[in-house]
Amino acid sequence: MSDASEPDERRETIDAEDHVEGTSPPSPTSRSDRLGTTPQQGTPYTESQVIMSTVKFVSPFALTYGLFVTFHGGGSPGGGFQGGAIAAAVVFMIAFAFGIDATRRWLANAVVVGLAVGGALVFATIGLVPVALGGAFLQYDLLPVPVLDPVKYGMEAVEILGIATIVSGVLTGLFFVLARGFNRDGLDASAVSRHANDGTDADRGAHERGEP
Amino acid sequence: MIAATAASAVAAAGVSITPTVAQVTPIEASLLVFVVVTALATALARDVLAAVIVFGAYSLGMAALYVFYRAPDVALTEAAISAGVTTVLLLLTLAKTTRIEHEAAFESVDYPAAAAAGLLFVGLAFTTADIPAVGSPDAPVWSNPDVTQWYLSETYAVTGVENTVMAVLAAFRGFDTFGEAVVVFAAGIAALIVLRQEVFT
Repeated sequence: MSDASEPDERRETIDAEDHVEGTSPPSPTSRSDRLGTTPQQGTPYTESQVIMSTVKFVSPFALTYGLFVTFHGGGSPGGGFQGGAIAAAVVFMIAFAFGIDATRRWLANAVVVGLAVGGALVFATIGLVPVALGGAFLQYDLLPVPVLDPVKYGMEAVEILGIATIVSGVLTGLFFVLARGFNRDGLDASAVSRHANDGTDADRGAHERGEP
Repeated sequence: MIAATAASAVAAAGVSITPTVAQVTPIEASLLVFVVVTALATALARDVLAAVIVFGAYSLGMAALYVFYRAPDVALTEAAISAGVTTVLLLLTLAKTTRIEHEAAFESVDYPAAAAAGLLFVGLAFTTADIPAVGSPDAPVWSNPDVTQWYLSETYAVTGVENTVMAVLAAFRGFDTFGEAVVVFAAGIAALIVLRQEVFT
């Protein structure tokens, strides 16, 4: 990216006085393409044994923690929103370690959509069943649950099957959608040609490793 | 700093408060400094990538601060959403942009904007004297018998769960939470529409 635009050059001169020390500008190729996305709706990806081993080790615990936060939200801090976010973060970790495209292939779209839509449907159903039985929206004590306490387990169902699933599904979906960017016949044609020659895969991989 | 001011105000009013909650511990003080420094760095960083990363650090500092102020539910959300998910999503989006090389690490300060922000800060700082100390048992939000104390004492009997925060979210304010969940759901659909995709993965 040696083509520094004109407004930028003007700012450089303004900032010249409070320039702290002579940091030489790094090589353009190594810093131009940060997370390493390529036009081919993909992420150039470099295998890293360290990252992959760490994620392999950590992700079961992180997923367990997310499930714990979700399922134990009634007795300790947490709940469906936080637990769902942690569960989605596990998918993010896997994607950063094993490549976003590989993770995309591994995680079927039906799973993500099913989580989000199913969660919304469960929440709405639990809310509307008491209405159908003559009560108010989300009036848990009218839920036709045979043995269990309908209030407590109705709330748990909303947290676990409703909120946690919506949040984990939507956050995971946002991650993959943003990683892909615009649809290919959408607006990204110019960006594609601009990025096509920047950097090497190794450089991109190094930066990908550096990000959380 | 804020808590210390409030504590001295309360002490001057002759109200007895537990000393441990009124003092700012060294850890809290360093966290406050960390949060302020990272917030300034976020505002002033020239490089967008650096700003995003420092913003993530800011959120993590806020999450730790919430833990010390005994709001673990908020801390979990802040850590998971702001420090984790938002940072990742911003980085993913940044990867789609062209990065401009900068000589200087920080933006030049916009003095009118800084003056406006400073005025707002000073104005807000004057109000801190009237804020009860953090954790003070006499704080109105805590001591009123009709709202906070009612929820704290009756939640378990009414709902059967121990976590009052979750009980408020899922039961007492369940309709609001339904709206929030639907907003999250709609955000996913909106992202698909804006990015002209038909599938998530």
